[in-house]
Amino acid sequence: MKKITVIAAGVAMIGMSVGSTASASGQVTDVKDWNTGEGEQSVAMTLTPDRENGIEVYEVCSACHLLEGWGMQNGTFPQLAGQHRNVLIKQLADIRALNRDNPTMYPFALPESIGDEQAIADVTAYIAALPMNPDNGKGDGTNLARGEELYKKNCPQCHGDNGEGNQEKFYPKIQGQHYAYMLRQFEWIRDGKRRNANPDMVKQIAEFSNDDMRAVIDYTSRIAVPAANLGPIGWQNPDYD
Amino acid sequence: MNLKKTVLIASSMAILSAMATTASADGASLYQAKTCWACHGKDAQTPILPIYPKLAGQNKEYALAQMKDIKSGVRSNGQAAAMQGVMGLVNEAEMAEIAEWLSSLK
Repeated sequence: MKKITVIAAGVAMIGMSVGSTASASGQVTDVKDWNTGEGEQSVAMTLTPDRENGIEVYEVCSACHLLEGWGMQNGTFPQLAGQHRNVLIKQLADIRALNRDNPTMYPFALPESIGDEQAIADVTAYIAALPMNPDNGKGDGTNLARGEELYKKNCPQCHGDNGEGNQEKFYPKIQGQHYAYMLRQFEWIRDGKRRNANPDMVKQIAEFSNDDMRAVIDYTSRIAVPAANLGPIGWQNPDYD
Repeated sequence: MNLKKTVLIASSMAILSAMATTASADGASLYQAKTCWACHGKDAQTPILPIYPKLAGQNKEYALAQMKDIKSGVRSNGQAAAMQGVMGLVNEAEMAEIAEWLSSLK
């Protein structure tokens, strides 16, 4: 009986997602619309996370993001470990509401794959507490002075002096993230492909050349993550056999 | 001395090539490591969505051709967009191993 209810809720939510596609198909253009915090995003944030269920739900995610949440050095899949929980909730809710195009991840974000708002609350709390990758992918290191200059001028206001982001404001932690993943997202944000981007950032980076983009991301990929947040090299997640 | 060196080189080359064969022959582990199974199912016949194909028992020539075309972008219809993003993880030799393994499943 409980299962039937869950499935029914899932179907209803798919209906809503599809329904919202038409209205949400455009790029966010006004910063006040960037993070409206409606629907399941705000619901998930109020629920008390269940760690055991978080572990169970995360197993689906781990097929790509790996059991450690460390993603892939080549940037195909980002590191999720240690990311701010609010950021994880927002991105997951956006992907499943089709506000962020991610055809590879979309089916896994659906309620019938991972569950309802409670599942989002559980899995994001679990991921946020994972120790981070001590060996993230980095750029070629050829233009770091320029990268540092660009970073200091453009990024700290939201992402912080050390790429630590801001949990309360939904600004992602970018320290320790894989270079190639950040480069791809940065380019998509600059070029209007990442529809749920903060419009202030789109404006801020509009004039970045490809070289500047690579330089600033390379610099960012080398910002040190606080040792307390890092896992040891070769760490394997003991929550899975 | 030279003979010793030659033997050493020859034997390490033999070991290396044996290792390479073992690694490349393992289509099953490539199928997992390259994240194929996330969408197509651990058994290659229970895809996560009904619009994704079952792959177990597929002809290897067909499977390889689709992988190559999706990677290159020649094929962009259907759900190709969902798969193209991960194709940077596989080279052609690995695709062939995966296709071979898939074709061996029932």
